[in-house]
Amino acid sequence: MEAEKEGRDLEALMASAQKGDSAAYARLLKAVVPELRRYARAKWIGTIDPEDLVQDVLLSLHSVRHTYDPSRPFMPWLGAIFRRRLVDLQRRHIRKDRNEVVTDTLPETFSEDETNWLEEGAGDPELLRRAIASLPAGQRKAIELLKLQELSLKEAAEKTGMSVSALKVAVHRGMNSLKQTLRA
Amino acid sequence: MKTDELIGSLANDVMPVRRLLLPPFRMVIWLGLSLPWIALVIWYMGVRPDLMSRFGDGTWRIEQSLALLTALTAAFAALCVSVPGRPMWERILPLFPLGLWVGTIVQGCIQSIAAGGPWTSLIRMDWSCTPHIALLGIGPAVVMIALVRKGAPVAPYVTIGYAALAATALAAFGLRFFHAEDASLMILVWQLGSVALLTAACTLFAERLFPWRAVAPR
Repeated sequence: MEAEKEGRDLEALMASAQKGDSAAYARLLKAVVPELRRYARAKWIGTIDPEDLVQDVLLSLHSVRHTYDPSRPFMPWLGAIFRRRLVDLQRRHIRKDRNEVVTDTLPETFSEDETNWLEEGAGDPELLRRAIASLPAGQRKAIELLKLQELSLKEAAEKTGMSVSALKVAVHRGMNSLKQTLRA
Repeated sequence: MKTDELIGSLANDVMPVRRLLLPPFRMVIWLGLSLPWIALVIWYMGVRPDLMSRFGDGTWRIEQSLALLTALTAAFAALCVSVPGRPMWERILPLFPLGLWVGTIVQGCIQSIAAGGPWTSLIRMDWSCTPHIALLGIGPAVVMIALVRKGAPVAPYVTIGYAALAATALAAFGLRFFHAEDASLMILVWQLGSVALLTAACTLFAERLFPWRAVAPR
């Protein structure tokens, strides 16, 4: 009885969200997140945080919210999106794992001594953190996604909504700014 | 970004959306745009001279009805599958007319082989079927892909597979109005073969034809 009422509430909230009601939409998303987290933890196989899957499902729900028919139950609609995004993310994760090699020690970059600066240590992480934080938002986001999280350009573009070329420019400018800040 | 921040960002970003039309209405749009294309190609190629006598042939009528029914149910299924959370029966619906269509043609093949000796004498090269079906099917396929892309790619391979089947089955239906070939074995190999080939080729590109649209949180 309670579950049925809750289901009707979700359907009404989604119908309001389709009309542009942002409060109803926020309530709906907050109501479904615990359930999505539970599914994500139960179904996810891999090393990344299941919260990434939850966020991916929320973004997907947002992009296809016009496909919801208020005369039909909400949870099967959300469940279908969840299952698809789970498959997509797992597949992407497996592909990425296949192309990565885990090593204990980083290989030498070149035979010349001066280029193998890694022995000198990774530098001052606090200084780097402050330098990244001082970058403009777009450059900072590009550096975080492409250099720190090591996402591909396509993945970063999907996550930020920026075009691939805009990301390339942002990361290039960001790296130049970082070099200048760290040299100073 | 934390999930709570993402929810706030998506909620702030929410705008009124126009709900997707129900699958039967979208199917009417598809037919409304596809049938004139099929008619145009038939007119351009020239109607077969024995068309009126074909209407009197029961087997021809059954095969054409099943081809059309396959196209309609595949179109309906493609439009339904592109909407999340719809019932499973809609996904298997086209398999019944498709099975009957193939079965009827296979039965015709068996009968002609039984009556006409070795099957090799009943078949010859007819390379025109595939380009004709591709030409007839291109219009319905473009319209169908545009329509399904308005939905959600929760099952991209099934959606694009059925979308391509709808277009090619409708094309095979149109083909027999100008292509004077009624031997069952020829229809099985060249016409149904072309339907299968073109459907499979489109399905290979399902994820490219029907990707998720990226949304960036603000």
